[in-house]
Amino acid sequence: MADDTGDDQADGAAAPGDEARDALAAELSELLGDAVVESHVEAGQNLWLRIDIEHWHAAMSALHDAGFAYFGFLSAVDWTDAPEGRYEDTEFDAAGVGEEDDEASSATAEETVRRGGGETRFQLLAQLHSPARHVAVLIKADVPEAASSDGSSAPASVPSIIDVFAGADWHEREAHEMFGLVFDGHPNLAHIYLPTEFEGHPLRKDFPLLARAVKPWPGVVDIEEIPPELEAQLEAEVMAEFEASGAGT
Amino acid sequence: MSPPPTASALREQQAYVAAQAADARVNVELDTGDMTLNIGPQHPATHGTLRIACQLDGEQVISAEPLMGYMHRGYEKLCEVRTYPQCTTLINRIDWLGSFANEVPFILAAEQLMGVEAPPRAQWIRTILFELSRIANVSLFLGDMGVQVGALTPVFFAFRDRERVLNQIEEVTGGRFHPNFDRIGGLKDDIPRGWIAETHAVMAKMRGFCDEMEDLLMGNEIFQTRCRSVGVIPGDVALSYGLSGANLRASGVDWDLRRDANPGLAWDQVDWRVWTHPDGDSFARYWVRLQETREATKIVDQLLDGIPSGPIMAKVPRIIKVPAGEAYVSTENPLGEMGYYVVSKGGLGPFRVKIRTPSFSNISVVPWVMRGTYVPDIITILGSLYFILGDIDR
Amino acid sequence: MALVDKVKLPKPLSWLLNFGRARSLWVYQWGLACCAIEMGAAFGSPRYDVMRLGVIPFPASPRQADLVVISGTVTDKMAPVIRRLYEQMPEPKYVISMGSCANCGGPYWDSYSVTKGVDQVIPVDVYVPGCPPRPEALLEGIVLLQERIQREDMQERWRGEPIVVPPSTSSSTRVPAAPNASSTAPTSAGAPAVPAGSAQP
Ligand code: SF4
Repeated sequence: MADDTGDDQADGAAAPGDEARDALAAELSELLGDAVVESHVEAGQNLWLRIDIEHWHAAMSALHDAGFAYFGFLSAVDWTDAPEGRYEDTEFDAAGVGEEDDEASSATAEETVRRGGGETRFQLLAQLHSPARHVAVLIKADVPEAASSDGSSAPASVPSIIDVFAGADWHEREAHEMFGLVFDGHPNLAHIYLPTEFEGHPLRKDFPLLARAVKPWPGVVDIEEIPPELEAQLEAEVMAEFEASGAGT
Repeated sequence: MSPPPTASALREQQAYVAAQAADARVNVELDTGDMTLNIGPQHPATHGTLRIACQLDGEQVISAEPLMGYMHRGYEKLCEVRTYPQCTTLINRIDWLGSFANEVPFILAAEQLMGVEAPPRAQWIRTILFELSRIANVSLFLGDMGVQVGALTPVFFAFRDRERVLNQIEEVTGGRFHPNFDRIGGLKDDIPRGWIAETHAVMAKMRGFCDEMEDLLMGNEIFQTRCRSVGVIPGDVALSYGLSGANLRASGVDWDLRRDANPGLAWDQVDWRVWTHPDGDSFARYWVRLQETREATKIVDQLLDGIPSGPIMAKVPRIIKVPAGEAYVSTENPLGEMGYYVVSKGGLGPFRVKIRTPSFSNISVVPWVMRGTYVPDIITILGSLYFILGDIDR
Repeated sequence: MALVDKVKLPKPLSWLLNFGRARSLWVYQWGLACCAIEMGAAFGSPRYDVMRLGVIPFPASPRQADLVVISGTVTDKMAPVIRRLYEQMPEPKYVISMGSCANCGGPYWDSYSVTKGVDQVIPVDVYVPGCPPRPEALLEGIVLLQERIQREDMQERWRGEPIVVPPSTSSSTRVPAAPNASSTAPTSAGAPAVPAGSAQP
């Protein structure tokens, strides 16, 4: 059912935005040349461009010069699955998953989920907006993994864009703190939110939420049962009150 | 792209810069040296727990670096372990003065992914509540800005009149703020009887409040001297720092997401305008917010008269499961562009939510704009940029 | 006041002193998150008018305050600052924890950066539940605190011993939570939230 309405919307209301975005996608692909790996237009919603990480800095400054002067945000996505999932241990969760999973396209999910595609674990994500044209573009770039000295793999460093967009400063610090991405050329990659001595990168999927791990979601725990004799008494009281008020009005 | 500042503003700016240069010379003569001034994290003049470390030379600020994170609650991680309806409860609390407005872009993003659209009546009521929370939010700023320059009366007016708006919100949603009223596919409830007339009356009162503020504060010479030509942010700087909302419009950039990228609410059904100011100083920011509050009351008035009939909830499954995909929806919230980048892998909860909050970007301009200003200006600039701590730190 | 902790004061005198202390609480507002706005509404707005209770919400520094209202989310980064501020307050001092966040972590109970309750850092006298508590609920919390101060033994308070406050003798209509508060933990006197019906002015 959900799918039907989705198609309706795409055909009807959103068609004009679609064309404009298609044209823009073509124009930007031309402008950026082979920096663009892939582009994706969702009708009436958004335009995604996936950019080769090598050209990250150049592409951003080209877009800046092309009128995309408003810096929306910069962040990242960790595409691995969290080992604990959503800590789904409730009956409700289980019921929800079982009920509709057959028809839902969980098999194709992995392919369709990444708008604009992508192969690596970490993906940079940024949004720019053109105040003159009133249109936004979402930009992605795959961050490859580079083997670090102790054998574990870590995301390779990414060129910083604070010389293009001054506002990227804090966003890059945040991405560094939350995902452990390293931005080359950033003057001060210090913690922005967390205390200096905090260890780990909270938004990586393998960062556990300890409170979740040691304690089930308190909302699941049902309230203590009322002793039967008390319950009967309470019910009698409530009924009496109800009747009284019903008689009153 | 942005118009040049007005002539008088330009003159004042030049005078201000000349004064700065003269003072800098005196500082060198007197060898005032460096001094570090730490404001916050708990300081009466900052809203909430922002901490600013300033390097001073005499009375002038050499550098000011906001240190935040005292209110970081980890929304993005918490959203990953919650279901969509649970997320809305949480998201309410990001910008706590305009809570309803926080829910809307997230719900819209989820609706986009699910391919559902709220029925027209729900969209109109959504828009009304959105604008009401804008009024409740910004009216507090309009009063509080007085406190920043030492005028205590306006904030009492603001609290008084804001209560009226909160009453209206409460009558519909049941909560003064943190309504948690928006649902994927519509709204929880319809509006109660008699609410429309009451809201009309409240809107008239709020217009009176705006007039009062105009008389009390904007006409006040002390206020003008404290705010004019202080903290000037040119349009291109504002854009590259990602300033949005009234801060951007006060720098002359004519951009409002309600008009330019309407994600499916009722703003295009009514007659209103976007206010901009060319000067880019603290006064311009105050002026734009004042006009916007007035404009919002007019939007609400018009919307109230035209609410379409029909259901308030589209058909959605009882257990919300969002198909795989990515969506980014942003709206023009009271503080600026608030957007949610929702990544779904088809489960009960989002896979990743990136929350683009306006204050985070708005306040990132502080190091740039503070350089060379005077210590008393720190407070008016911060006040006029108008941020909410939860919105910075998330 | 050096006498207070040495001799047992006669009852009328300690009643009088307690009465004075309870009705001139200088409260330091420690606004941290959303609850701070409701605290501001309670303290700053003409509708709720906290000063009629003898609460003065304008101390310039914690060094002049008798009471601190911790309203909002306490994060791990903030906790040491709260501790420091609390230590700066002169004895006798009282703490009201306002909102679920300050009480126990509230909606952020599973967050990696939120302290699960301000009582892990400083002792709390009154908890005001709610998310956010209405301004009326905060006023109720203050009234409960005043009742508590009224019944306090000043000698013990000044000596810094754990205080067991005798239960209220007045037949107050409002105290569903007060009885258990006084019997066990000295630092817990739960304030019941005010029914929403009482919101109308
Ligand atoms: S208890 Fe609720 S309203 Fe209060 S600070 Fe916490 S989240 Fe905000």
